[in-house]
Amino acid sequence: MIISNKRLEIGLFATVMILLMAFVPIDLTHQKESPASDPLLKNVTGSELQEIVDSYQGKKAVLINVWATWCAPCVEEFPEIVKLQRAYPEKLQVIFISGDFPDARARALAFLKKQEVDWTTYFKTGDDQEFIESVSPNWTGALPFSKVIGIDGEVVASWEQSATYTKFERHVKTAINQ
Amino acid sequence: MKKQYAAFAFIAMVGVALYGFLPSENTAMDELAIGAQAPMVDHEVEDVSGEMLTLQKVAKENGLLVNFSCNTCPWVSRWEDRYNPIAELAEEHGIGVIALNPNTAIRDDGESLEDMKARAEKSNYQFPYALDEGSKLATAFGATRTPHIYLFNKDMELVYRGAIDDNAASAEGVEQPYLKNAIKALAAGNEINPQSTKSLGCTIKWPE
Repeated sequence: MIISNKRLEIGLFATVMILLMAFVPIDLTHQKESPASDPLLKNVTGSELQEIVDSYQGKKAVLINVWATWCAPCVEEFPEIVKLQRAYPEKLQVIFISGDFPDARARALAFLKKQEVDWTTYFKTGDDQEFIESVSPNWTGALPFSKVIGIDGEVVASWEQSATYTKFERHVKTAINQ
Repeated sequence: MKKQYAAFAFIAMVGVALYGFLPSENTAMDELAIGAQAPMVDHEVEDVSGEMLTLQKVAKENGLLVNFSCNTCPWVSRWEDRYNPIAELAEEHGIGVIALNPNTAIRDDGESLEDMKARAEKSNYQFPYALDEGSKLATAFGATRTPHIYLFNKDMELVYRGAIDDNAASAEGVEQPYLKNAIKALAAGNEINPQSTKSLGCTIKWPE
């Protein structure tokens, strides 16, 4: 009878513990890295972007490409730009900036991984107007937007709409030789 | 002396020729300038109702609001909850409103007149939504994206262009209702400030 009571106590204790476990808050961010903290896609403001671009002056040519997951022409040209970065790893730095809405951040990150991008890219934050002006006064805000900057820091070309590998490479070659 | 002139002329010519090859940032798109007259005001466009319209016909006593819009752009979808309230505000202030769809290259991919009719019905558009065939009006305006706003005064001079406001994602989060302010200022005869703004948007799908 005593043994039975002990068994009952153990059984009750185990049941209570199992029930309590259902209410323990599980921090999913520890199981899976939060998109906001992923080094592959960092937040950037217009002024921060300028500092990043300036850091390559005298070292590498820079290709800034502003894209978004919902933008069909952006998605179409994206692999060409990745290919270009692979072709000129020492002399070119591609700076991808996602213009996606904040609620599409995880989608943007998944796209970058699918495209096998393995360098830091950025996620636009802050006011559109300020951001657009800081990227280029000649940009009206339409996506995609690309801007090629020479090793000397001078702008080689910028354009809205998508482009072919040939067009990107032509401007990048000019930028590398500056 | 003649040789000197010839040498000078040669150097000048070479200089001019080389100038064309100087790397420089591409010039801004040729957007209609503030103060410019509305172009192609008598050009006919087909509305989703089947009616043929012109900008001149749509304009009212205090001006005209043109919105280059479309069916497939997520930025349009985000801003769309402000379309009817803004159209209502404009109409209240004697300003005619029209949305134009310039996406010629993807008419078979969600941007046909039939698609536009469905969109206007679904979103209960309280303003004309017309097909900009061949993106002719968008070209004349120098529009680049959707949505892209152009506001004209009673003399059909451009007084504001650019964004609807500063927050596509949320009407509640708007801090700068640029277009609403411009409409009110225009009707009141006050200065519009800012006259030009920028926002992210989808590129217009031009004829191929």
